[in-house]
Amino acid sequence: MVLVSGIGYSNMRDMSFGRVLYGEMAVMTWPEHVHVEDLNFGPVMIYQWLDESPVKYDKLILVSAAQRGRKPGTLEVYHWDGELPGEDRIQACIEEAITGVISFENLLIVCKHLGVLPADVTIVEIEPQDTEYGLEFSPTVAAKVDEAIQMVRSEAMKAAPK
Amino acid sequence: MCFKNLPVEFDARGVAHLKGGVVDPYAYKPREIKREKLEELLARNGHIKDVSISPVTRVAGALSFHAVADLQARTFLEANSIATIFRGYEVILKGRDPRDAIYISSRACGVCGGVHSTAACEAIEMAFGISPPPLGTVLRNLALSLDFLYDHPLHLFLLAGPDYSQVVVEATTPAMWEKAKVTEAPNADIHQYKTIGDIMKGLNPLSGKLYLDGLKMTRTPREAYSVLFGKYPHPQTVVPGGMSSTVTITDFNETYTRLQKMIDWTKRMIFLWDDLTEFFYDYNPEYKKVGARPANLIDLGMWDDENAYDATYARCSEWGEARWATPGVVIDGSLVTTKLQQINLGLEEFVEHSYYESWNGNGQQRYANDPSGAPLSPNHPWNKETMPKPSKESWKDRYTWDTAPRWDRQVVEAGAYARIWTTAAAGLMPKNEFMKATGTSLKMHLPKTMLRQMDVEWKIPAVWNAFERNRARAYCMAYNLMVGYSMVLKAFDLLRKGEDRVSTKFEVPQNERIGVGFWGAGRGYLSHHLVLEKGAITNYQIVTPSTFNASPKDPFGNPGPYEEAVLNTPILEDFDKPSDFTGVDMLRTIRSFDPCMPCTTHIYGGQREIVREVNTCACAAEG
Repeated sequence: MVLVSGIGYSNMRDMSFGRVLYGEMAVMTWPEHVHVEDLNFGPVMIYQWLDESPVKYDKLILVSAAQRGRKPGTLEVYHWDGELPGEDRIQACIEEAITGVISFENLLIVCKHLGVLPADVTIVEIEPQDTEYGLEFSPTVAAKVDEAIQMVRSEAMKAAPK
Repeated sequence: MCFKNLPVEFDARGVAHLKGGVVDPYAYKPREIKREKLEELLARNGHIKDVSISPVTRVAGALSFHAVADLQARTFLEANSIATIFRGYEVILKGRDPRDAIYISSRACGVCGGVHSTAACEAIEMAFGISPPPLGTVLRNLALSLDFLYDHPLHLFLLAGPDYSQVVVEATTPAMWEKAKVTEAPNADIHQYKTIGDIMKGLNPLSGKLYLDGLKMTRTPREAYSVLFGKYPHPQTVVPGGMSSTVTITDFNETYTRLQKMIDWTKRMIFLWDDLTEFFYDYNPEYKKVGARPANLIDLGMWDDENAYDATYARCSEWGEARWATPGVVIDGSLVTTKLQQINLGLEEFVEHSYYESWNGNGQQRYANDPSGAPLSPNHPWNKETMPKPSKESWKDRYTWDTAPRWDRQVVEAGAYARIWTTAAAGLMPKNEFMKATGTSLKMHLPKTMLRQMDVEWKIPAVWNAFERNRARAYCMAYNLMVGYSMVLKAFDLLRKGEDRVSTKFEVPQNERIGVGFWGAGRGYLSHHLVLEKGAITNYQIVTPSTFNASPKDPFGNPGPYEEAVLNTPILEDFDKPSDFTGVDMLRTIRSFDPCMPCTTHIYGGQREIVREVNTCACAAEG
């Protein structure tokens, strides 16, 4: 089973790429082994949700935006290597998570530390152009929406039951 | 006579009026902050250390703290509490439909479930002249007791708890850790931790059982909350005049089973915090001074009596005193009032040391009196205007985005502990089968679950410090739980009688209206003051518990509660050289207040930017 989501705050233009794409993917038709879910409700609560979920997922695909100095609009797919930071940083992530911060980084670290992440975590990530407050993507990022969804679909199909 | 400093007195009928013969009754002369001596000491002495902790971690939002410590005398000489963020609820809400306040103000905090929504609704109800039907009130009370059953474990085990864990105690006071390992816990038969050392191990962050159980237990109350309110946090179902949830007996049954689950855990946690507190006191009585300050507390009460609450200002003192948590102000350990009107009249906000302009420049004030004709200060929230003025940080001048709210020009602190204190001292709690306020304590009967039935009693403490704040919060778990339990029974009763209405119809008035939501957050006192004209908000002012607690010095020269508590804290940690100093006693002090900064600085900065770096994903791009 594959769990798909997009992470980010609302109304932050390109930085909301994951959140907006989640909304689009949630109303699309997917194969039976794919479940699209909103995972923007706080890492600790997501840990609790995954922990109690009757379905155990083999793969997690997350869409997000991150500023890493690439050319704006660059789309990348990668497997998260699952390497955790030191204990102080993990504790700081939990503190931030329980006091209201929603972030892609916290979600991965908190859920990995608490042992609920699937073995395969794949990230579909875009380099933003416009990170100001606003509802719309920049034209550069808006042009990448279909491609990003296609990447998610293709990654999800790699985990389809034989 | 509850006021000592404000120029207000009461006649034989209890009606408030200004004292006669005072020309400018609310005028004051700000006192200058003098630092020259301190600056000289800092320059001269190697053992006087400037300590800046930014951010203070395990705090929601941005709190920084600056202190000057004398490491030889083991005392703090100066303390400055700094709210570093600048947000915008009061400004954002101006000109909007009052109903927007419910959903927008809710976003002031991501930890507090629906406390801002409810405070906003109560302010709107007063302004509109409506009130909820009984089940609407019971439903709100129930959800807001569940909210705190999430908040308190979070504080006790994930935010403040690590300060008392093995890893911290062993590193900062090794001899204490040695003693803790061999000290039997007096209540081990109940909480199952044989020694104090075992409790401290349990509190270890990331790996301790208490820490991990605390993390797990935050789910149960939120599940029940979501059943009743639809979602957590930021519910969309709190509406003026009640609730918009459709509730059935099944929803209350689901809530009841979850409350049952919390009872056993709560029984164990109370005794655990008792054991930990007493161990510190026995080990070194100086710990009683950590976080100490005069017992000056404020609370607005909450959890309305469904038959008493009518949302009118004229009757607010009556319906306030009928609440399951009694409103009150405690000064030097004595309860001086339980009347909401008096608490409201005594409230002022000052900005001499904050990044705001004073709004009293032209000597005009919008309201000279409250709706009952009692005198109002020009510094009262109904008269306040939010006028941001960013400027350079200066310990002598302005250093924070928080304001300095004061009651009767005295420094008061807010917290769940203030709520249990005012309720215990007042002895006015509605008659019920689980709790009794005795005047000096709150007795609570916890029914049999997996553990036997138990009677627990929170007693008003003889000292007021960081440990008592945490201990009281543990007892508040039982208090919230039994309020919730009582509300489920009330809901069953109302449904049995066919009283299933949860809301009241209303129209938005177009003339000038005024209202206030007197409510409480997990961390205590919460007020929303509202002014409406032509169906839109013309002024909205929020005062939260951390607005009080994190406040800077006031114009009378008094430090805010965090600042005062740090100044009274002895440095008890072990260190050989200044570079080994960790400031753990100061951090225990600040964190005992359960600081929450997002709603403290409810001011909009103009950038509309959420700043957060994504930098440690250890990603391996594969293209």
